[in-house]
Amino acid sequence: MTVSAGTVLETVVREEWGRLTSLLLAQYRRLDLVEDALGDAVEAAARRWPADGVPDNPSAWLLTTARRRVIDRVRAESMAHRKASLLVTDATHRQQGQTAMADPGGLVEDDLLRLVLMCTHPALAPEAASALALRLVLGVSTLDIARLFLVSEPTVAARITRAKRKIVAAGIPFAVPAADVLPQRLEAVAQTAYLAFTAGYAPGSGSDLLRADLAGEAIRLVRVVMDLCPGEPAPTALLALMLLQHSRRDARVGDDGRLVLLTEQDRRLWRRDEIDEALTLLATPVLAGPVSPLAASYVVQARIAAAHATATSPEETRWDRIVEYYDLLIRLFPSPSARLARAVAVAEASGPDAGLAALDGVEILGSHRVAAVRAELLSRRGDVAAAGTAFDEAIAACRNDTERAHLVERQRALPSVNPP
Amino acid sequence: MRRYVVLVAYEPGHWEAASESLRQEYFAAHHAFEEYVDVHGRRISSAPLAGADTATTIRHADGAVTVTDGPFIESVEQVGGYYDVELPDLDSAIAAGRLLPSSYAVEIRPAITIDGYESV
Repeated sequence: MTVSAGTVLETVVREEWGRLTSLLLAQYRRLDLVEDALGDAVEAAARRWPADGVPDNPSAWLLTTARRRVIDRVRAESMAHRKASLLVTDATHRQQGQTAMADPGGLVEDDLLRLVLMCTHPALAPEAASALALRLVLGVSTLDIARLFLVSEPTVAARITRAKRKIVAAGIPFAVPAADVLPQRLEAVAQTAYLAFTAGYAPGSGSDLLRADLAGEAIRLVRVVMDLCPGEPAPTALLALMLLQHSRRDARVGDDGRLVLLTEQDRRLWRRDEIDEALTLLATPVLAGPVSPLAASYVVQARIAAAHATATSPEETRWDRIVEYYDLLIRLFPSPSARLARAVAVAEASGPDAGLAALDGVEILGSHRVAAVRAELLSRRGDVAAAGTAFDEAIAACRNDTERAHLVERQRALPSVNPP
Repeated sequence: MRRYVVLVAYEPGHWEAASESLRQEYFAAHHAFEEYVDVHGRRISSAPLAGADTATTIRHADGAVTVTDGPFIESVEQVGGYYDVELPDLDSAIAAGRLLPSSYAVEIRPAITIDGYESV
């Protein structure tokens, strides 16, 4: 069976981009050159492979071609006497780097870890780190990153450029940190990946389906980290959480393009394989012992998602357990949105009155969600007039067209108030 | 090796109000910082600064020089001292900076050389 050159190239780029980038960085330490060099190599492959045939080792071909580009640029610069801005690498790594060139293989994964940790360094702005990691580790295009974060492509390009400049100027190293700092840095990787993931599910204009697909790239980033550092609690718990949320992507948008609420989704569309993988991850011994607050918050959120994923119908949902998980989550990281979600769960478990009591004092500035939930619960209790007022409040504060249309529809469905 | 200026900031009056034992803790934290730098790099210079209420700011506006009382940025935290050090990378600068007293905010700034400028 012959596979087209285009398909091979696409697969190599998808699977090898980060490894190739990390090898080029280890060898040349030129963050300003390697991305373009690799991009040029991919372009050259797109031109030549269909005509000349796919090389035996496509990724080695890309590496060799990209190396030539870097060398050409470095030569041109030294002719012009320009000073190169080099990445900092640790002294032992420089020696390792030389052996790695002579014998590629064993040390490669270490280079990839260096790349991941450099891109997600806490000294970089979170959204810049996210964009940089997607670009350099996974080879996601700036256009796709822009779609994911709902910003323009030049904005993404500028963020990436600024991040690269800071890495070089501030001396963020291309290195694996000391063992006592590593777990904390892996948590920063997890936070970076989750930022990209939630961006893909944030309501906004544009094709939500496409953006959910791009959120899947964040899952890929966590998988890279899990391969490099297996048995770390934060990435393990985060992967479970993301898989559970992502498993519902086909059911969350209806044929008319409208968002479908969790309880109304067709559960047959949920991806069982992803749910099963997440449940297996949640059961691993890594998560059984004491873990950091961040990892614990991922575990609790994943258990909430799992409670939905394992209920065969909305009626089967163990809302009592979900309330307990939210209690835990609020103890770990108190936030108004967690309290809001808890109030919804309380209402499902114990009725609208209990839900309204749990909602008492919850405020999210600039958001329509608290009012929307209050309206829903008041209407369930039969308090039509108060529900109508709460819907008014929610509709006025809502900035998303789809959600506003849904609220208007719910308000219209209220039974008319009987005259006194 | 890279050169970093580590600026430390703390709330004014904090040091004056500190007990003798707290002051000893602060000294120990600074010693730990200095030892870390000596092991991993080199100390160039350092100084604690007198309070921001002793600062004087010079500005030029429309060809005239104005001299005013106070620091150039008014904020709750004020720069209270600095270390000028050489260390391998930002991670080692962060590792060193973490050793300083926990009540400080610590800003790490890479020092640069300006092309074409030579001091006399």
